[in-house]
Amino acid sequence: MSRRPAAPPRGARTQRTRSSSQLRAWLRHHRAMSADSARRLLRHPIASLLTMLAIAIALVLPAALWLALDSARLLDAELDASATLTAYLESAVDAGEAGRIDEAIAAQPGVAATRLITAAEGMAEFQQALGLDDALARLEDNPLPASIVITPDEPSPEAVRSLAGELEAMAGIDEVRLDLAWLERLRQLAELGQRVALALAVLFGLGVLLVVGNTIRLAVESRRQEIEVVMLIGATHAFVRRPFLYSGAWYGLGGGLLAWGLLALGNQWLAAPVRALAASYGANFSMPHLGLIGSATLLICSILLGWLGAWIAVSRHLSEVRPR
Amino acid sequence: MIVFEHVGKRYGGRFDALANLDFRVHRGEMVFLTGHSGAGKSSLLRLIMRLERPSRGRILVAGHDIGRLHASQVPFYRRQIGVVFQDHQLLFDRSIYHNVALPLEIRGMDPREASRRVRAALDKVGLLHRERALPIELSGGEQQRVGIARAVVNKPSLLLADEPTGNLDPQLSADIMALFEDFNRIGTTVMIASHDLALIARLRHRTLRLREGRLVADEEAA
Ligand SMILES: Nc1ncnc2c1ncn2[C@@H]1O[C@H](COP(=O)(O)OP(=O)(O)OP(=O)(O)O)[C@@H](O)[C@H]1O
Ligand SMILES: [Mg+2]
Repeated sequence: MSRRPAAPPRGARTQRTRSSSQLRAWLRHHRAMSADSARRLLRHPIASLLTMLAIAIALVLPAALWLALDSARLLDAELDASATLTAYLESAVDAGEAGRIDEAIAAQPGVAATRLITAAEGMAEFQQALGLDDALARLEDNPLPASIVITPDEPSPEAVRSLAGELEAMAGIDEVRLDLAWLERLRQLAELGQRVALALAVLFGLGVLLVVGNTIRLAVESRRQEIEVVMLIGATHAFVRRPFLYSGAWYGLGGGLLAWGLLALGNQWLAAPVRALAASYGANFSMPHLGLIGSATLLICSILLGWLGAWIAVSRHLSEVRPR
Repeated sequence: MIVFEHVGKRYGGRFDALANLDFRVHRGEMVFLTGHSGAGKSSLLRLIMRLERPSRGRILVAGHDIGRLHASQVPFYRRQIGVVFQDHQLLFDRSIYHNVALPLEIRGMDPREASRRVRAALDKVGLLHRERALPIELSGGEQQRVGIARAVVNKPSLLLADEPTGNLDPQLSADIMALFEDFNRIGTTVMIASHDLALIARLRHRTLRLREGRLVADEEAA
């Protein structure tokens, strides 16, 4: 009566056919249980849908935040690449001297490129941007100084700031402007957002576990007698657990698909106003998409969460269920 | 096959349901277990199934101390024992056929081979024509016979039965006992708890008599 009764020596071949038939039995049970648990879910479509919807809502929030941050990161990179300094020259500096200063700056270490904007060019740009031809044309003198736009080698705030200090010390330069403050603020905001997203993901992941766990707990409760009987006649814990794990995975899959649909819907809904907003800032911004990898990650995470929630619920229960 | 060494079972710290049991049952034997209600018959069978563990002493089944089985081994141990429960323990949401097939399903037996065995077991208890019925549609006696079919479907080497004739009329009781004798004849060790003393007396097998958890008589077949 041992687990493996002493058997006469067997040939390798029968050994192999035996283990392969065990594998087939195992696969058969998996197939049967996945179908059976799907059928049980379909038998109560509204209740199942509600559970999946709860999972979906819990998943949508962190996923949406993650998407938003992802697009913010893209924007950030773009801003980095376009980070420039503007050196305004003293108004006494004439065109020839301005050219020399431009060359001197270009020769500085840490400077990638420079562009000289003469006072006249500056005025033209200004007029074009504002559409105020008439008003400005009436001005006698050009009040704008010549300026040099400098693209640094390295767009990090420290490098840019020290470069600004060096430039300011040069003769003929009145003022150096750098728009770092808001860039830095944006970056800090993104970091904060990332942490919030992570915390939300953990929190809502726990929420999914609870939703699935509770649903599975009720399912276990309603099949308690069946569990007791199969354990009486020699079912392993794995055997008892299997249908519930599949239920959890189905819930997870359904919730993940719903979440994906909700995200796509939200994307559609927000796309037009976001595009209009971006256009008003002159930015070319497209709505972030989950893409293939993002979608797969979302689905795999939701399935795993469903499975795990079921596992916890069943295991907690199995230790309580003692066959009578 | 079964060895009890100074086995005691105490429930709730005070009440001795079984005390100082010492006996052995040999392979291929058929043994009755009798005693008044509450004498400890079911408790003794539950110890052998390892649904309970003895408070003292040890139990060997087929040479193995079943108290030392790891929890993960217990299901495999139980699969080798056929049990007829006092309260049937059938699943009411599935057909007779699927109830009897359950032990084979747990073992992962090929469905075709399983179907052959299930039909043979149902035929043996005379219920083949009801295989599609639900347990609720059967009489108490018929349910009992389904329980017997499920217990023997995997041809266990040890068969335990707790009041298998509790709900049956005398004729059917005799038939069921004859069935157990058939299994015993092909080598199965059989242990039957019953208080149908008249029937037991007629059948002439070894009888263990319990009173308040103690073994008060061990009578060989006359
Ligand atoms: N889980 C338990 N907890 C506490 N006491 C128990 C438990 N199981 C059984 N008992 C007690 O142990 C004693 C023996 O019970 P058992 O069920 O073994 O008797 P039995 O001989 O099978 O009786 P019956 O013929 O009525 O089935 C009874 O007094 C019962 O109250
Ligand atoms: Mg009893």
